[in-house]
Amino acid sequence: MTRLLRIACLALWLAGLAMPMACSHQGRAYLSEDEMQGRALFEDHCAPCHQDAHPELRKQPPKLERLFQPKSLPSGAPATDAQVRKTIIEGRGTMPAFDQRLSEEEVNDLVKYLHTLK
Amino acid sequence: MIGSKLKVVLAMVVVLMSGLAVTGCKNGSKPDNLQRQALEKHENKRYNLRGQVVAKDVTANEITVQHDEIPGFMAAMTMPYKVKDPATIQEVEPGDKIAAVVVVVNDGSDYWLEDVRITEKSVRKSASGAPSVHRLNVGEHVPDLPLVNQDGRTIHLDDFKGKAVLVTFIYTRCPLPNFCPRLSSQFAKIHDDLAKTPDDYRKTHLLTITFDPKYDTAPVLRKYGMAYLDDDPAGFGYWDFAFTTPVDLRKLADAFGLMYFEQDNQISHTMNIVLIAPDGAVAKYWSQEWTTSELEDALRRQAGTAAAAVPARASRGRTL
Repeated sequence: MTRLLRIACLALWLAGLAMPMACSHQGRAYLSEDEMQGRALFEDHCAPCHQDAHPELRKQPPKLERLFQPKSLPSGAPATDAQVRKTIIEGRGTMPAFDQRLSEEEVNDLVKYLHTLK
Repeated sequence: MIGSKLKVVLAMVVVLMSGLAVTGCKNGSKPDNLQRQALEKHENKRYNLRGQVVAKDVTANEITVQHDEIPGFMAAMTMPYKVKDPATIQEVEPGDKIAAVVVVVNDGSDYWLEDVRITEKSVRKSASGAPSVHRLNVGEHVPDLPLVNQDGRTIHLDDFKGKAVLVTFIYTRCPLPNFCPRLSSQFAKIHDDLAKTPDDYRKTHLLTITFDPKYDTAPVLRKYGMAYLDDDPAGFGYWDFAFTTPVDLRKLADAFGLMYFEQDNQISHTMNIVLIAPDGAVAKYWSQEWTTSELEDALRRQAGTAAAAVPARASRGRTL
C-alpha cells in the first residue's frame, strides 16, 4: 500500500509539472524558453490591441492566430518572418512602430511565439 | 489484488490530472494560479501592486500602470486597471508612483484596484505642490508658436485664425489603444464628417501635435496621418500633424495644461483636447470626458462664429 501511495504521489508530482506546460497558451502545448519570453512580450505589447475589441478605433487590429498560415496576406501567401519583423519594428497602417522599444532578440522571441499560435 | 488497487489509484490520478488541466486551461491568457486559487476559496483574492501610473482615462475609470511583478498573479508589465474609488482617478496623475491592492473576483472574471496610495508624486507636481504653470483660461489667446507639419513646412498657430481649430496631442509609437490611437481615430471620424459639409470643412481645422519630436519627424507624421486619412493626402489641407522643438512643446503643454514625461521609450501623458475659436482664443478644453460627436458639434458651432471662410493656408507656409 505504501508503494502504491508512493507511485500515486510521484504521478501527482508529474501532473503538477506537466500542467503549466500544457496550459500555458492557446496554441502548441509546449513552449520553449524563447517562445515563453515571446509570449510575455505578446501579452504586454500585442494583446491589448489584437485580442480585445476596440470599436472606437479607426481600423480593427486583426487577430494574429493564423498569421503564418496560408492566405493570411491579401496575396494569399502566408506572412514571412521578415515581413512580420518589419511590421513590428516599423508599424503598419495605424499600428504603431515598436522601433527602439523592443530589442532585436525580443522581436525574434515574439516572432517565434507568433508561430506557435494556431 | 494489489494490481487492481494500483489500477484504481492510477485511474484516480488520471482523473485528477485531467481535472487540473481543465481548470488551469479555462482562462486562456490569464494567470493559471489566479482562477484555481480563487475558485478554491470562493472569495476575492487580493494582491499587492507597486508601480507607476503611465496614463489615466477618467471616462473609463481606468489607470494604466507600469507595475512590478505581482507574485502569484502577473509578471511585470504595463496594463490598464479599473479603479474602485472614482476619487482616485481625480487624484492620481501620470508619473505618480503608487501602491495598491489588485482585487480579483472569485471566478477570475474581473479585477480592479483598491486602496490606491500615491507613494511618490510625479516631479512636475511635487516641486511646488501644484502645477507650476498657468493654463490659459477660456478666452485667452494661444501663443503663436511655430510648428513643423507632415510636409516639413513651418506653420504657426496664428495661420489658422479665421477657422475653428481642434487640437490634440499624441505620439505615433503610443501602443495603448485607449489613448493616442483612440484620439486619432476620433479626429479621423470628425474629419470624415466635416468633409461631407464643405462649408464647415473650410471653416475648421484639425491639428495633432506630437509629444515625441525626436522620433516623430515629418515623414513619420506623414505616414501616420495617411493611415488615418485612408491614404488620401488631400486631407492634410484640413488636418495637420505637427512637431515642434522640445522647448516650444513644453510651452504649448503648459499653455494648455498638459502633463507629459518620457520614460523607457514610452511617453506618459494626460489626454487633452483644446478648441480654439476663429479669433485665436481658447474656446473650450476637454481633459476628462468627451464623445466624438460632442467634439464635432462644438467645432462646428465655433466654425459658425467665423466671419467668413479663410482661403487655404498653403501659400503661407515656409518649407524647411
